[in-house]
Amino acid sequence: MIRFFSTCLLVATAAAAQPFSFKAMPNPSGVDPQVGGVDVRPDGKVAVAFHRGELMIFDPATETWSAFAEGLQEPLGLLAESTDSLLVMQRAELTRLRDRNRDGKAETYQTVFDGFGLTGNYHEFAFGPAKAPDGSLFIALNLASNGAGIRPEIRGEWSDIGQLDFRQMQHDGKWRDRSVKAGRMYSRVPYRGWILKLSPDGKQVEPWACGFRSPDGIGFDAEGRLLVDDNQGDWRGTSPLYVVEKGGFYGHPASLVWQDDWKGGDPMKMAVGRLDRLRTKETARFPQGDLANSPTQPVVIPESWGPYARQTLIGEMNQPRLVRFLADEVDGFTQGTLIPMFDGTPLGAGNHRLAFGPDGTLWVGKTHLSWAGAEGLFRIQPENLDQVLTVTSVKLEKSGSRQQFRITFSQPVAEPGTPKIHAFDYHYHVDYGSPKTREADLPVEKAQLDSRHHDLIIETKVQEGCVHRIDLPGIVSDNGTALDATTLYYQVTRLP
Amino acid sequence: MKLSATFLPLLALAATAEDLTPAQVFQMNCSACHAVDHMVVGPSLVEISGIYRGRPDDFVKWCLHPEQKRPGAIEMPSMAHLGEDTLRTLLPYILSEAEGKAEVKTGEGDPFAIPPAMVRRPQVQRIFLPDTSPAAIAVALPGTLSYAFDASECRLRYIWQGGFLDGYPYWKGNGSSLAQLGGPVLYREEAFPLKTASLGGQEASKFLGYEMGDDGLPTFHYRRGSHQFSETIHPLADGSGIERHFEIHPGIACTVEASDGVEVTSSSGSLRIDAAAASSFTLTFRWKK
Repeated sequence: MIRFFSTCLLVATAAAAQPFSFKAMPNPSGVDPQVGGVDVRPDGKVAVAFHRGELMIFDPATETWSAFAEGLQEPLGLLAESTDSLLVMQRAELTRLRDRNRDGKAETYQTVFDGFGLTGNYHEFAFGPAKAPDGSLFIALNLASNGAGIRPEIRGEWSDIGQLDFRQMQHDGKWRDRSVKAGRMYSRVPYRGWILKLSPDGKQVEPWACGFRSPDGIGFDAEGRLLVDDNQGDWRGTSPLYVVEKGGFYGHPASLVWQDDWKGGDPMKMAVGRLDRLRTKETARFPQGDLANSPTQPVVIPESWGPYARQTLIGEMNQPRLVRFLADEVDGFTQGTLIPMFDGTPLGAGNHRLAFGPDGTLWVGKTHLSWAGAEGLFRIQPENLDQVLTVTSVKLEKSGSRQQFRITFSQPVAEPGTPKIHAFDYHYHVDYGSPKTREADLPVEKAQLDSRHHDLIIETKVQEGCVHRIDLPGIVSDNGTALDATTLYYQVTRLP
Repeated sequence: MKLSATFLPLLALAATAEDLTPAQVFQMNCSACHAVDHMVVGPSLVEISGIYRGRPDDFVKWCLHPEQKRPGAIEMPSMAHLGEDTLRTLLPYILSEAEGKAEVKTGEGDPFAIPPAMVRRPQVQRIFLPDTSPAAIAVALPGTLSYAFDASECRLRYIWQGGFLDGYPYWKGNGSSLAQLGGPVLYREEAFPLKTASLGGQEASKFLGYEMGDDGLPTFHYRRGSHQFSETIHPLADGSGIERHFEIHPGIACTVEASDGVEVTSSSGSLRIDAAAASSFTLTFRWKK
């Protein structure tokens, strides 16, 4: 009996100190609960799009589901415009679903934008829309994969650029013998591998940036920067995060053929060095296996999340965590830090779509789509964030002939601990993925706290172009709270 | 390892995958897709052991440059980031995990399958279908007929009879296979059936979407040239054909040219529809006996 009471006491004490609570929501019955899109409507109900095309509304008060729309094709993004109107990105188009008679179900499936090509290849996914501060919409289009060829009928203009012609690109019994000549991932119809900017009504389109492979994550940060992450693979040594600007080329060459007046021939035949000079470098990188293998949607953390407010939170399919991004500006370029979040919690893997409710609840939609992952809708609620000790900023600064990382904490810390810095890079090449390269433990010349004990300054000599893994053992707040995540990954694309 | 000798001393200092046990490496990189005794996303360790026992070089080669062994399956991503030395340590781990275990067969069928007789009609499903563009829309009509509408060419492509669809081949492979029709095709339409003198039927078309009626049937909206079309398809009660209700704005004179295998009549009394009648008319398509 005494043991029973003391166990209860322990559990109660531990629960009170937990910053977040976690709960898996019930799945709708008869629905394959793989989530392609999540957004919260103004009324606080959660719109969720599923793998087989159902769009359902979840009522958090009753934990029940109701059908809003169905029959959609692989919806992979959702934006709630109002209680009665939702934008959903399907394989073939961006669609506005409207419930005009307010019976809770959409009657209108209006095509907002379908001005891009489809070959019928399974990997031609479509992601978004992300809403810009000015109301315009951004969508992201996946390349095709040479895991399969194309279908006899396609939509959109055919590009003759490539080693195989239209007939040879057809998927048949001998596809495997030819597939290597297609390129690991390919772009034979318009705007595969591109980010497109659309006017709010979808009537004007502006091809915005190219060089993407499988850009499952697209969103704006609190400063209005367009963030897009991509998946490890060919030309992606590890998964990257980019700040995307108009006209940029972001590294995967296949999509270059859809640049205006492209005269560069077959991008697969271009020298790596030339592509490397053309491309915009990474804002951050997710080390494969260590941090994230398939990063997903970036969203802005709301004010109600205290020390995390206005930071960017990013989903991850493969590993049981989310990832925070802290931006830094160096020499006019945005680069920054990725930090694991929710490690060791009940969150689990498959974290595909993220949306915050008006009350600060974070809704996580999970999927696997026959890769690694999970299923269903998951809820994370902030409970007790007052005591949280977390890194709120990482800046790379010049320090004489060397550099220093200035790491700011959410509250004063007691000791500088014993920071360690390990740098590494990845190949930029056509091969799938990359081993780590240029690996080195960097000597920490100095590690000290500022006078307010809010900033830790670590002096070292960084390696340009490398990810810098910074480990922060022994950091606790003045009142004894441990740091929420002790590993940071800072991408030094530019030197101060 | 494809690393130059210069970097080897540094590598030795680094905390890499090589510091982890094979079990930890497996957990972080492989376990999401590979279970001991049954297929998940990829094959079981039992199956892998059967293929690669005594063939470590082939195992490493596969991990660096994977392909597909099963048609319709997803290709494994390369594990090159682990490096050859680490990959080599994984095979003994896999063999030991699979030791003495046998493959457990998991269900092959669609866990969400609905018996054909229970399929709700009408309903609309966008999915990859045979013999149409990738922007295809399948519609189950009340009764036994279903049709494929092509949102790229903005026209009816064909009608089939029997069950609606088996979408599982598409859904389980993310579209690497087409959905299968639930019965034989009764009618194929080779071209848009309304020909106009000014446009000749080859005019640029633009899909605008669809509206679900109270009866659960979609009305498709599309533009051809400067004319906006609405089209709603109903089944005839006896299953002998379909009715297609068209509204064209602004109205334009047109001629109906159906494909082989049907007899067509028009609510306007003639297959030459004048501009006034074109604002609202119904064509009845009956399969020829």
